[in-house]
Order: sequence, then structure tokens, then C-alpha cells
Amino acid sequence: MRRTVGAVTAFALACGLAALHAQAPAAPPARPPQAARQPPPDLSPKIPDLTGVWDGGARARPVNSETIPWGKANFPELTERGLAHQKVFDEAIAPKYDCVPATSPAIQYDPYSMEVTQWPDRVLFRYEKDDQLRTVWLDGRKPTVYDWGIQGFSVGHYDGDALIVDTDHFVFDVTGFDDYNGIPSSQMKKVHERYWREGTELKMTITVEDEMFLKKPTGYTTRWLPQRPGYKLSAWDCDPETSRAPVKMMTPKYKN
Amino acid sequence: MNVQRMLVSATIAAAGAAVVLMAVPALAHHSSAPFYDATKRVEAQGPVTKFLFKNPHSFLYFEEATAQGKVEWQVELGAAAGLTRTGWTPETLKPGTLIKVNGQPSRAEGSHGMCCARITRADGSPIVAGGRVTEEEQPPK
Repeated sequence: MRRTVGAVTAFALACGLAALHAQAPAAPPARPPQAARQPPPDLSPKIPDLTGVWDGGARARPVNSETIPWGKANFPELTERGLAHQKVFDEAIAPKYDCVPATSPAIQYDPYSMEVTQWPDRVLFRYEKDDQLRTVWLDGRKPTVYDWGIQGFSVGHYDGDALIVDTDHFVFDVTGFDDYNGIPSSQMKKVHERYWREGTELKMTITVEDEMFLKKPTGYTTRWLPQRPGYKLSAWDCDPETSRAPVKMMTPKYKN
Repeated sequence: MNVQRMLVSATIAAAGAAVVLMAVPALAHHSSAPFYDATKRVEAQGPVTKFLFKNPHSFLYFEEATAQGKVEWQVELGAAAGLTRTGWTPETLKPGTLIKVNGQPSRAEGSHGMCCARITRADGSPIVAGGRVTEEEQPPK
């Protein structure tokens, strides 16, 4: 009896070892010579390199004013509501005199620098003017009920050699169209931007629509030049006292 | 650097300063029209009382002695971020510095303000060797 059990155990062990041997990986092949190795093919999609600090000052383009960038060719056709607002608008109530930052489509044309950072899931636009940071989400996320803001909520994607940015969820802004013409923008404002490189320049076409105040979409194209190497955006650090100081120099539109 | 080279450099610098428009950078934050009258120019001079080197606007204050007494002028300049590009610093105009200012007068009755100003030292020499980019010098859109 003891011999029978021993023979069965030995047979089982032999079978187990044979099975283990059969599952064992084969010995690695000899490594090819170093010179014959090729880098793995880059299968990631190519995206435009927009990264850097960009100069939007006077050497890149004319400085903004009542007619720049909104001139005869692209000045917005206002709805009746827009015209009425423009008529009663008093410059003294513009929020900028209380350090409220500029928004799209004005902030892109302010004559200061802008830093672009590209991450896999987002693109960051940091503006020297007003210390503003816009995040453009590339990961397909949708805005939540909390995502209304002065810069709106931006999503984007790459389209060939361009970055496409779509922004909505803006809050009402008394001077949300530009700094010079007393045109507001509403929660219905939608901004479409396309960024691409032309040589050393960064270019952008922006289109804005706002059914509340604009009869039809309008837009402009502009450019930035590379800032000098090593340039760091300075802190804007808006000063409330000097921000409002010009207002006392104007004649009030409405007098008591 | 030898003396001859220094003289050449100084001559070039002086020539450059002479042709540079000594106006400070544009406002680029709001229209000047509601606040200042672009059809007029006023000129005044006196010692600097305060220089606020800030964003979105810098302001220079100086005191003019008139027959009716002293008047403090408020001169609106560009943003500190823009002035920095043309060589201005918070220390550029210290209190007591005598200056001469020519600019557009403010509109509010009884106010003493100026914008879009050309500022020099009392003897007419430039504050700093630099100036704004004029409209004619700007690149095409």
C-alpha cells in the first residue's frame, strides 16, 4: 500500500513538473547589435507648437482704440437692445475702473504679453493684462452649473496645424465686447478662436456671436510675435486707486 | 572704452534722444475722449509731488505755481507694464524733480488733469531716452 501511494505521488510530481516546463517562457533571443535598433515609430498625432510667451504690443500690431480692431469692415451690427445700451452707456460705470478684468474678444487684443502652455489635457492662456488665466479643456469635459464666469468655459481640440477653442458660459458684462465702444455682452455670448503658427508668429482668428446684442457674428484676425528670450510676465496687480482716478477728469453724462 | 569711443557713443545717444518722441505710451485701456479734450493742449511746469507707477494707469502729480496760488496737476500715463518697456521705473520721477508737461486738458469743470502728454525736465531734456510707438510707426493690422 505504501509503495502504491509513493508511485502515484512520484507520477503526479513528474506530470506537474512537465506541465510547468511546458509553460515556462522560452529563453530570450539574443539582443540585436546596437546599431541595428530603430526608435519606435511616433504614432502620436502632431500638434502645433504654440507654447511660449508672445508679445501683443505695438511692435506686433496697432494698439487698440475706438476703431481698432473693430473698424469699418467688421464693426458689429447691434440689435435694438445693443443700440439702446450703447446710447445710455456712461463710461464712468465701466467695470474696468474698478479693476474688473477684460474678457473675450477684447483681452486677446490688449497690447500686452500672453503665455501659452500646452498640456495633454488642456491649453493654458495666461494674460499679462489683468492677470487672467484661461483654461481650454481638451479632454471632452462639459461645463457644470458652476462654470459660468467672466472668461466663460472653454473647450478645444487640434485641427491639423491649428488649435480650435470654443467658449461660452460667460456672465453678463457691461463692456464685454470691447473697452472703447460701450457694447455689452450677455450670457448668450459665444467665442470661437483658431490659433496657428506662421513662421515665428502666432496668429489667431476670433469670431464672436451674441444674439442678445449683435445681429450677426463678427471677428478679427491678429498676431503675436515671440517675446524676447527669458521674458517673464509681470504681475498686473491692478491698483484700485489709479484704476478709478481718470473718472474724475470726465464730465458726467448724467448730472444731478 | 577709450575717450574717443565714449564721445562717439554719447553723440549717437544724444542724436537718438533728440529725434525720439518724448511722449509716454498710449493709454490702451480706455478711450481718452470722455476725459480729455484732444482739440486742445495745455502746458504747465513745476516740481513732481507724487508718481504712482501702477496698472492699469500710472499717474504723475506735480505742482504749478500760478498767480492764484498753487495748482496740483494730475497727469495720466500708460500702464506700468507698458512704461517698463520704454525704460520707465517707479524711480524715474522722484518728488521734487522739476518737469515741464504739455498735454490734452481734462474735461471736468475745475479739474487740472492731462493725458497724452509730452514730459521733459524743466530744461527741455528727456526724462528717459525712449517713447511711445506712434500710430504712423505701427505695423499693419
